Amino acid sequence: MYDNPGNATDQEKFLDQSIRVVKAESFEMKRCLDKGKTMDALKHALQMLNEMRTSELSPKFYYRLYMDTMHELQCLEVNLIQEFSQEPSKLSNLYECVQYASAIIPRLYLLVTIGGVFIKCGLGSRKEILKDLVEMCRGVQHPLRGLFLRNYLMQCTRSVLPDFPETEEMLLSHNSTLPKGTPQLKPRDGTVEDTIDFVLINFGEMNKLWVRMQHQGPSKEKEKREKDRLELRILVGTNLVRLAQLEALTEEMYVRDVLPSILEQIVSCRDTISQEYLMECVIQVFADDFHLATLNEFLNACGQLQQEVNIKILLIALVDRLALYTNSSIEGQPAPTKMQLFEIFSEQATNLIKNRPDMPMDDIVALHVSLVSLAVKCYPDRLDYANMTFLGLRQVIEEKGITDIEAFGKVGRELTKLLNIPIDEYKNVLRLSELPEYIKVMNYFDYRGQCNIAAYMVQNMLEQETILRHQEDVDAAFSLISALLKDQEKQPESSHETEEFADEQNLVARLLHLIRADDVDSQFLLLNSARKVLGEGGRHRLRYTLPPIIFELYRLVLQFADMKDEDEKWDAKIRKMFVCAMGTIGALVSTAELAELPMKLYLNGAITADRVPFEDNHTVVYEFVSKALSILEDDVVDSRDRVRCLQLTVGTLLKTTHLPEENWQPLANQAVLAAAKMFKKPDQVRSLVTVASLYWHGETLETNGEKMRNGKKVVDILRKSAKIARECLEPLVQQQLFIQLLSAYIYYYEDKCTEINVDHIEELISRTQDNAVQLDVSAEADNLEKQLGEAIHRLQLAKIDVAASQVASPRTEPDLPQPPSENEGL
Amino acid sequence: MAMLFGFGQSAEIQIRLSNEDSRKVVKARGDDGNLHDNFLYYDGESVTGTVHINLKKANHKFEHQGIRIEFIGQIEVYYDRGNQQDFISLTRELARPGDLTQNAQFPFEFNNVEKPFETYMGTNVKLRYFLRVTVIRRLTDLTKEIDLVVHALSSYPDNDKSIKMEVGIEDCLHIEFEYNKNKYHLQDVIVGKIYFLLVRIKIKYMEIAILKTEIVGSGPNTFKESETVAKFEIMDGAPVRGESIPIRLFLAGYDLAPSMRDVGKKFSVKYFLNLVLIDEEDRRYFKQQEVTLWRKADKVMRRPGSDDEEPQTSIPGTQKFTAPSIEHPKPESPRSDPKSGSTSPDDNSDSS
Repeated sequence: MYDNPGNATDQEKFLDQSIRVVKAESFEMKRCLDKGKTMDALKHALQMLNEMRTSELSPKFYYRLYMDTMHELQCLEVNLIQEFSQEPSKLSNLYECVQYASAIIPRLYLLVTIGGVFIKCGLGSRKEILKDLVEMCRGVQHPLRGLFLRNYLMQCTRSVLPDFPETEEMLLSHNSTLPKGTPQLKPRDGTVEDTIDFVLINFGEMNKLWVRMQHQGPSKEKEKREKDRLELRILVGTNLVRLAQLEALTEEMYVRDVLPSILEQIVSCRDTISQEYLMECVIQVFADDFHLATLNEFLNACGQLQQEVNIKILLIALVDRLALYTNSSIEGQPAPTKMQLFEIFSEQATNLIKNRPDMPMDDIVALHVSLVSLAVKCYPDRLDYANMTFLGLRQVIEEKGITDIEAFGKVGRELTKLLNIPIDEYKNVLRLSELPEYIKVMNYFDYRGQCNIAAYMVQNMLEQETILRHQEDVDAAFSLISALLKDQEKQPESSHETEEFADEQNLVARLLHLIRADDVDSQFLLLNSARKVLGEGGRHRLRYTLPPIIFELYRLVLQFADMKDEDEKWDAKIRKMFVCAMGTIGALVSTAELAELPMKLYLNGAITADRVPFEDNHTVVYEFVSKALSILEDDVVDSRDRVRCLQLTVGTLLKTTHLPEENWQPLANQAVLAAAKMFKKPDQVRSLVTVASLYWHGETLETNGEKMRNGKKVVDILRKSAKIARECLEPLVQQQLFIQLLSAYIYYYEDKCTEINVDHIEELISRTQDNAVQLDVSAEADNLEKQLGEAIHRLQLAKIDVAASQVASPRTEPDLPQPPSENEGL
Repeated sequence: MAMLFGFGQSAEIQIRLSNEDSRKVVKARGDDGNLHDNFLYYDGESVTGTVHINLKKANHKFEHQGIRIEFIGQIEVYYDRGNQQDFISLTRELARPGDLTQNAQFPFEFNNVEKPFETYMGTNVKLRYFLRVTVIRRLTDLTKEIDLVVHALSSYPDNDKSIKMEVGIEDCLHIEFEYNKNKYHLQDVIVGKIYFLLVRIKIKYMEIAILKTEIVGSGPNTFKESETVAKFEIMDGAPVRGESIPIRLFLAGYDLAPSMRDVGKKFSVKYFLNLVLIDEEDRRYFKQQEVTLWRKADKVMRRPGSDDEEPQTSIPGTQKFTAPSIEHPKPESPRSDPKSGSTSPDDNSDSS
């Protein structure tokens, strides 16, 4: 391409030399211009332009030389125009004179400059000059020099190309700005058609030169040449920009002359770089309605491009552009325009894929992304369009025998984009069920891919609050996200251990709260059926998916609670709900092999049942609490968990008020037993202290809203507990336990438990104080010391209090202070 | 006797032509190699004027044996100085032998002189016209010569044939070129085009040269001298098959004389257009084509500005090649493999 590919330093050097000549000659040129010696000035201009003949410079450096020279030529142009205004005759044969120059490059640069001056001064026929210039430039067949020369031609003529016919007013306003004595502008000839011809010829020639660059020089420099060419592409593209800028360019002209000619040039050059760039140029520079009018032609041409051309990018660019346009501007226009658009694209895309067996799969999918996007965005009502596209894609995938598309592979990423479009656009995942092909395409994903899409759907439903109102909704949603609900064939062994799995299941759990039927009966049916589907999810999913169902059931119960008068089968129905909940929790125990979670759910159920006054609700409460206790008994292994679970059970029992004594007792006993059976002594002590509160604060059906106040039982338990504490060998732990016990004793004493013996407390205090002396010095010991001090202080106060109240009224109910342990609530 | 000692009378001769003020003057190279202004005459034009004899010494008698003026057209071949051929020689007697006592003027007139050839200063030959005044004296004659330039005008029909030719080197280069005419006047413009049918060499550039060949003498004594009088680059870089390159060459930019054929049976001047392609190894491929140059009468000068109202539709310098030509196939794609684009051997039979 250029003789001296050398390094940048060499190039700098060559450029420097050239620029120095340019500067020197242009200086002389301007001097001559100042003196009015036009011909001499032109001679220097020729000398200056001689530098443009160089073969030493790479495109980048040649460009810099070009810019400098251009600047000087502009000075010449301005000067000549001025000169003409003073002495028109001086220029009359200049157009011929400059052609005496024997070297072609300087000659043509000068000719173009003079041509520009002539047109600007209204000399001669504009049409003729333009035509002449563009033809004469054919003499430069050297790609680099030719491209720049022709670019200069475009630059020089850009402001004088015929466009709209010049009106009287335009001329007048132009002439009024001219200095006095200047020849007035006459109407200039030429029409926009002439401009189109002119630019199209120049475009064709420039593209040929540009393409030719690729095929000159040694083949080992191919990459470098491609790089060079990319740097120059804007020169070629400028022609198209110029055409697009013509105000008088009508759609008819575009359809009839401009586009066919451009496409012919692009297709026939058979050059990948050129085709890719120019097609994109066409898409970008011309108006949307022009594109709409020529879709078939354009897409047809796309089909004829080189195999290597990335058609995908082109089509996507076009589709995206038109999708945006049609969406924003022809909303409400007659449907045919829009309808055609999709059908044309769809057909052309199908043909393209058929004709290009080597097209990579990710490109094919990407193409469909655009199509779906078009279908979904511009034809929100035409689900068949979207479905058709999915069908088309599925057929291609099927033909190619592709399965298990990797979620994060090239194809997978495109496929994800594709599947996400309708989710995003419809803002209602349920509509997807109207695209039967959607799921089929989705199923070509591997396990992860399917899960990702399903999770994306769920997320969308949550954001959009897509309510599942009917059985069909639930079925549709579940079938769309089935990858998340059941074990899949393609599912890897350890998939349930991943973070994604947990996240996804949490999403499903949240989704279940969107089940919202219009009435209680239907809601129950929906939950029940959902439970059945979810029940098949396997142990790893149940723990996430069943609790929401259970909570929904409890919520439903509470919602239904006030409607006793409206439904004669009220009692039975409530019961049924609890049975259902119980069964569901049972599945968590048996299938999911969980303990604490179902236990909590039982306890929660018990409280719920206790609050709703349906017939024999105590049986449900009893059943639920006893089930919780038996889980505690059989399935909770870890001692800390056991302590916590027992606390929860005690808390629950304290909240229930509707158990008859006969039911309450076994449960309380069981709790005491469980407390005593704790594995570690400290746990036994603490749990017993906790359980003791049952007999003080508990309520049964029989207590009629009063607390049980069974002081004897409390003291028994506390004593038992104190005994165990004494057996504890670790001094520090023992001290903690003593202080805890002390607090409990004092609490009940304060609360007027007459069975409590003050002496007993004081004995405990002195034992504790003894103990304290033996403790090693530590922060913990200090802390305990302080607590002990406080306990003693409280006791003093309590004593005074008790004494006072015995004087005032022997038996009144004081305000209930906080129970000593945090055994409340779930 | 007085003359012998230098006391004799002497005189200066001056030739003044009629209408010197309005007559066109052209520069012509003289014997000394410098350019001189000479008056321009055309064939058949009368040459008139006045001869002035100015005496150097007043009141002295100037004796002479007669005064005459000659109009001479002469061909001189340099290598044969003695052999000058006067193809025209006209004489007018201006005065009979006698004495002059004061400055004298003698009008002369060569009416409607035939001047068949154009003035020519070549490498080996010279054709000149001059006026010579001779004052015959007893010992040495006084003479004075002035050169006149003669332009031989001709006219050729406008619709003369174009030059069109297909040339090539088999499997290497094949072009078709066309010049719009084969006879050009000296202010003419050569327009044409070159169409590339096959290009397998790496062309660097292409130019048109104007060659002038001067042929002097005949038979064994023929001297042929060629020189390049113009070089004009018409293409930069390498075209591909199907490209058509325009030619537009203004002859006015060069110092040219008309073609001459067998002038006075002494010499001829021929012009050739030489189309030269230079490849990247600086090999030259060329094809010469003779053209006839002729001199056309100057156009009547139009006063600039007098036709302001008339819209100018055409400007000088945009001459186009419009001769009808055969339909060519579209330019081929440059990427096609050169080996596959071969034309059949019959196509390029006409090679240079």
